[in-house]
Amino acid sequence: MTGRADDTWTVTVVVPEESSLDAAGETVELEVAEHETILAAARSAGVWLPADCQQGWCITCAARLVEGDVVHPDARRYYDGDREADFVLTCTAKPRADTTVVVDRYDDLLEHRAERGKPPGSAKIRG
Amino acid sequence: MSDGKEHDSGSVEPGDTSKRVGMEVIRERGVDPEELREKLVDAIGAEFTTYYYYTNLRMHLAGEEDYKEITEDARLEDRAHFELVVPRVYELEGSLPNDIREFADRASCPDAEVPTPMDDDGGFDTEDLEVEDILEVLLEAERCAIRTWSEICDMTRGADPRTYDMAQRILNEEIDHEAWFIELLSKERDDEINPAGHFARGEPGDAPYSTNNRFNDSA
Repeated sequence: MTGRADDTWTVTVVVPEESSLDAAGETVELEVAEHETILAAARSAGVWLPADCQQGWCITCAARLVEGDVVHPDARRYYDGDREADFVLTCTAKPRADTTVVVDRYDDLLEHRAERGKPPGSAKIRG
Repeated sequence: MSDGKEHDSGSVEPGDTSKRVGMEVIRERGVDPEELREKLVDAIGAEFTTYYYYTNLRMHLAGEEDYKEITEDARLEDRAHFELVVPRVYELEGSLPNDIREFADRASCPDAEVPTPMDDDGGFDTEDLEVEDILEVLLEAERCAIRTWSEICDMTRGADPRTYDMAQRILNEEIDHEAWFIELLSKERDDEINPAGHFARGEPGDAPYSTNNRFNDSA
């Protein structure tokens, strides 16, 4: 993979219609530097995405990768199974290609983790 | 106003103990009290695990007595935060998990582990452990707590004054703690003077904003 000269990628953020976020139903394009997280870029651009710990642990910021590529070098709790199922933690996710994500996917990731016996889903959803 | 008493109105019948007006008034103001309650369990899970992990971090600040004392203040104040909010979870018809592992797994902030691997004997490998690395763990733990309690303030502002009051008092102390550890890390790692601007506590773990009642004077 090679970075472009400006090391900046276009990240398209899709906020679902059913979301309770102010931007529900909107699709926003952000320019995100390689060293920057999607969450930070969104908030800097005035798009308020959900987050809590901002250390890649609590999964409040969960999103789904539609296309592109991101890395999570600083996430404290991000599993191979998350990556394989295209889940993204926007608080620590840094783009490595032009990327599209659907945000506000906390419940989906919580359930995904629970099904695989991984926290916090395994601790919060009883079978 | 009708002739009836105000508490006669609303969705809770007089004498009905299966519902709580203290929850319904939150719901009526647009916040889901069950969702809030679960977020509180996550948040105090983080306070509790932090209290545990800070014990270990403090132990490993060997020879740095001033850092130890400050870490001890933060440690005991995090315990005070846990104690402050536990009753609120039960008021909102929740409970603490029976299994402490479940409680730790759902904590809203990462484990604040001693930043060193274990050695072959199962002890901490302290050969390369630096004070500044411990201070950085402490700082990032406080930052996570600030974010969590800010989220809870946002969630409860204008809808649940009781939880909001608790959250904003805890937030005050977490912001104090961040300032302390910025000051210490700046000096230790970067040799920079970066004052917190405040410090003085009374007894260790005084928790000047968040302690309602002394939970145990002998503790």
